[in-house]
Amino acid sequence: MSSEPVETDDGKTLYPVEPAANLGEGERITVNIKGREITLFNSNDEFHAVLNFCPHQGGPLCEGLLDGTLTMEDWEWTYSCDGEIVSCPWHGWEFDIKTGEHLSKSDYRVPTYDVVVRDGEVYVVE
Amino acid sequence: MAQSAEEIPARLKKIDTIVDCDFHVTERQEDILPYLPEPWSNVFGRSKGDDYGFLSSLYPSAGLINPITTGKVQSESVRSKEEAQVGIDLIHSDKVVITPTLNLYLGCVRNEEVAAALAHAYNEWLLDTMIDTDRGMYGAAVVAPQKPQKAAEEIDDRASEDGIAAVFFPSGGISPLAGAEKYYPIYEAAEANGLPVMMHNASGNMMTAFPRAFADLTRFISSHVVAHPMMHMCNMADMITRGVPVRFPDLNFVVQEAGLGYIPYFMRRFDHEYHSKKEDAPMLEAEPSEYIRRNFSFTSQPIEGTGEPEYVDSMVRLMGGEDNLMFSSDYPHLDFDYTDEMMNLLPSFDVDELNNVYGQNALETFDF
Repeated sequence: MSSEPVETDDGKTLYPVEPAANLGEGERITVNIKGREITLFNSNDEFHAVLNFCPHQGGPLCEGLLDGTLTMEDWEWTYSCDGEIVSCPWHGWEFDIKTGEHLSKSDYRVPTYDVVVRDGEVYVVE
Repeated sequence: MAQSAEEIPARLKKIDTIVDCDFHVTERQEDILPYLPEPWSNVFGRSKGDDYGFLSSLYPSAGLINPITTGKVQSESVRSKEEAQVGIDLIHSDKVVITPTLNLYLGCVRNEEVAAALAHAYNEWLLDTMIDTDRGMYGAAVVAPQKPQKAAEEIDDRASEDGIAAVFFPSGGISPLAGAEKYYPIYEAAEANGLPVMMHNASGNMMTAFPRAFADLTRFISSHVVAHPMMHMCNMADMITRGVPVRFPDLNFVVQEAGLGYIPYFMRRFDHEYHSKKEDAPMLEAEPSEYIRRNFSFTSQPIEGTGEPEYVDSMVRLMGGEDNLMFSSDYPHLDFDYTDEMMNLLPSFDVDELNNVYGQNALETFDF
């Protein structure tokens, strides 16, 4: 980390993660913020921060494959959401990294965090 | 991995010993082939097969898509004691009984001599590479059901080895079924050596044997116990996974004469599978159990467990029976149910719910 946490006017804290230039398209980095492992993804040139913990059985969700998923339109198989779906490497439970929602089970959700970029540094907002 | 060996969950600390009785290795064909006895060592020694073995001719596969083949699940390699220790630490187990992966498919290898040789080779590799009782690493000696006499000899040879804790019987895909006299030498050898016989399928190898399995059932009881619910579960699993209730949302199916307990079991097992394999059924917009509740009804006869009202009551609750169960008698067949049989078995049901089960659900389902 290259800088200290920043307090904002509205009472939130920005935790510095990495200079944006260091995290290329499709790359990710996992950091410890207040005892929680949070993974920052650069996917489709957007940053998304997701808790590295699968709510299913506690697996390291964000170490898993980041890709899309097979879906169906008019009864034809299609591949969609490329770069937006992370699959837990333990059991394959799939979550949308933008929203934290599980693809099929609405009562399962992994925490996500807002991300801001200031002066070239990527911050996770809490 | 997120958890380390030191971070034992609090609830597990209360348990004295944790034994993991189905701890798989991920042996590959190339691990086993060097141990093959002659003449197979010579014959197959010229070829290594493909990388994982499933696609080669030695171990048949059904070729279904799963989260490993699509790369969603990063199934760990367990082909050394060090790799096994990673899993043991993760699960916090004190002892494990090591079971195979590739050799789950041994039961459907057609050449029975080759099957016996592959079992022998796996056991050699297991003992050489994986067994370590000081580290709690025990193993099950694989036998080939296709060659029972050789299997019995294999059991006799392996039983005294330190760390062999069981016989592993790859039960998926076998024909005839496990009750056949053909297998008695295996059971006799296991019994004589004081080893349990582990039975373990793989879904891919069961598929090769389901029709034969029905045909191989040799008694009425065994057929009647499993045939009705198995056939219903196969049909419903196929219908829902391939979207029949999505195409025909207003169509109702009435599923009959298979008992009750399999219904809540099937719903929950189906949901459990679906949530890690959604892209295998991408047209579904709800859990499989929701389609079962919406599009399927069940008739009551024959009710199992009638000596235990609390069992029947809880099964009917768990299947949502107040909305989807309909009384049936099956009169005059030999296992028919008398009219008030079920009512005495549903103590938690109020009058409205009993009315549903005895009539209202049928009135809403059938076009009277």
